Amino acid sequence: MKLRKAAAAVLSTAMAVGVLAGAVQVSAAEDITLWYYWENEGHQRALNEMIGTYNSSQDVYAVTAKYVPFADFKKQLSIGASASELPDLVILDSPDHASYASMGIFADITGKFDVSTYYEGPVASATLDDVLYGVPFGCNCLSLYYNRDMFDAAGITEVPQTWDELKETAAKLTTDGVTGLAFCSLQNEEGTFNFVPWLWSTGATSYDINSEAGIRALTFVKDLVDSGAMSKECINWTQGDVMNQFISGNVAMMVNGPWQIPTMRDEAPDLNWDVTLIPKDTEFASVIGGENYAVVAGGNEEGALDFLTYATQKEQVTFMMTQMGYISADSEIASEQFASEEDAVYKKFVDQLEYAQARGPLPEWPEVSDAISLAFNEVMTGSAEPADAAAEAQATIDSVLAR
Amino acid sequence: MKRIKQFFRYDNVGWLYVFPAFAYMLYFVGYPILQNIILSFQDVTMRTLTSPDKPFAGLQNYIEIFQDKVFRTSLTNTLVFTVSCLVVQFLIGFALALFFNRNFKIAKPVRGLLMMPWMIPITVTALMFKFIFGTDVGILNYILSSLGLIKENIEWLTTPGTAMFAVICANVWIGIPFNMILISTGLTTIPKELYESASIDGAGKVQTFFKITLPLLRPTIESVLILGFIYTFKVFDLVYVMTGGGPVNSTHMLSTYSYKLSFEMFKYSKGSAVANVLLIILLIVGSFYLRATKEED
Repeated sequence: MKLRKAAAAVLSTAMAVGVLAGAVQVSAAEDITLWYYWENEGHQRALNEMIGTYNSSQDVYAVTAKYVPFADFKKQLSIGASASELPDLVILDSPDHASYASMGIFADITGKFDVSTYYEGPVASATLDDVLYGVPFGCNCLSLYYNRDMFDAAGITEVPQTWDELKETAAKLTTDGVTGLAFCSLQNEEGTFNFVPWLWSTGATSYDINSEAGIRALTFVKDLVDSGAMSKECINWTQGDVMNQFISGNVAMMVNGPWQIPTMRDEAPDLNWDVTLIPKDTEFASVIGGENYAVVAGGNEEGALDFLTYATQKEQVTFMMTQMGYISADSEIASEQFASEEDAVYKKFVDQLEYAQARGPLPEWPEVSDAISLAFNEVMTGSAEPADAAAEAQATIDSVLAR
Repeated sequence: MKRIKQFFRYDNVGWLYVFPAFAYMLYFVGYPILQNIILSFQDVTMRTLTSPDKPFAGLQNYIEIFQDKVFRTSLTNTLVFTVSCLVVQFLIGFALALFFNRNFKIAKPVRGLLMMPWMIPITVTALMFKFIFGTDVGILNYILSSLGLIKENIEWLTTPGTAMFAVICANVWIGIPFNMILISTGLTTIPKELYESASIDGAGKVQTFFKITLPLLRPTIESVLILGFIYTFKVFDLVYVMTGGGPVNSTHMLSTYSYKLSFEMFKYSKGSAVANVLLIILLIVGSFYLRATKEED
């Protein structure tokens, strides 16, 4: 009897709460949807937490974030654009920004955000024909990670700074079961992202690969693979796979970004590693990656802008960047980031950022990128000589630029 | 009133029953195909995707894709892939069906187990074969080298020729049960008496196979081959997950290349033109199937 009473009490309270909650929901706010593609759990948690604080800070808008897998993201946006079923806000990969801006699906937000303190590259990626179509979310760049214990075991004391030193070091580190160097060389944007630092280091741009310098970059990666200092499997490895090979001790050095650090610390706390600039040919180079926010034209622009104003405040940005292992695109915030000793390693990425450039911005960048990634894949698999691969890529790039 | 009554005579009511399926097909199959055909005659890229008037391009997309080296590779790849898979999986499937048709003790449970590959999601199969064919961690290289057949690990998925071989192997593995089960069913429809009288007449094993089994199985074999062709020709997920069309476009199929053009490079019209080439080939094969099934009736 007692039990039943208690149960009834619990039930009725639950119902009352339910009704109240329902009431709150009815009066609530306009829905704002946001699409993003981070598969990393930590990233997702951070984003949802930031959105949660925004939603409880006001009651006009309620933001919900929807995860769309990276492989599907471009497709979903394209389909959404042709069917007019888009979210109100997206966080997208910066090299694709220009393509979507040229589709006309993003709202012009020129003058609505102060981006004067932001790094140039990220802002350029969100700009097309002098119109600002987005706000950089955060940025990152690639650097060289190396396994300190393996360096010690091989008696290497100097960190490689030039290509020749890198080749030599990688060869020394290559043993049975360990390859000296790895970087993601997929035949897609991710692979291009990892190849352009080498290309740019020779002084060549993304658009003149068929030059003495461009061929030198292709020859360099070919030599690495041919000598066995780098595994050919890299053409099938994502950046995540490369990181896994590195923390499993199968790879002694890798090119990767700072977003891997939280995972690496989590999964391999005892691994003794450090980070340095990507070795150079004639000049240090790296590539800027990261995401931009963009407001979708014709959606709930006002609500999206309101959230964006909140999300780009210093407190929010610092929280997100720290959780995700990103560098703020706002140079003022970036300079104050990573003050603790534990995070000193991130500073090396901030240093590397000095030498980093953005890809594009060009609406046809995906086609240019495809030509570049085909070229280094041909060279690495031995299906074409560097000079031929470069000439073929150049023909495609020229035809794209001529349009 | 009379008219309505007349309409609901037996033969007209049939239309009513057909209508839901017809409407469904029209909207969910017919409409997208039509849209896709229209799209392939326009010039739609990211610059024109959302604009209301899309420039007409005539046959330009079709001309350009046939000049495109990667398209030609994908077309050959798709044909090579389909024919090799079809031949191998049919022969093995047929052999297994004959074997299990002998109805020994554990024939039924084992045949059931052999259906497994057909039931596993293709993505899982693709990942599994990606591991099997891995250079340093793959079990295939491990077995081959411990048997002393190879000295150095073969780079299956990173060398153009062998990558195609690996993809074909994976697809054959999926296709065998499909062939086996259809042929098994076909075998059960052949009356036992025929074999009995043949054996009384003194016909040998080989003779009964070529004179009784094969001719009576002809309709089944035709269906198996044509359906198999259609299933294999439109392969997408297996290749997309296993190789993504690489290395160096050597395993791109019409479907994966169409996807790449449309959703990675934003050349929507070219992508749909490639998809239409695939459609046309399948329509031709499909019409053979319809004719074959009609003959049966």
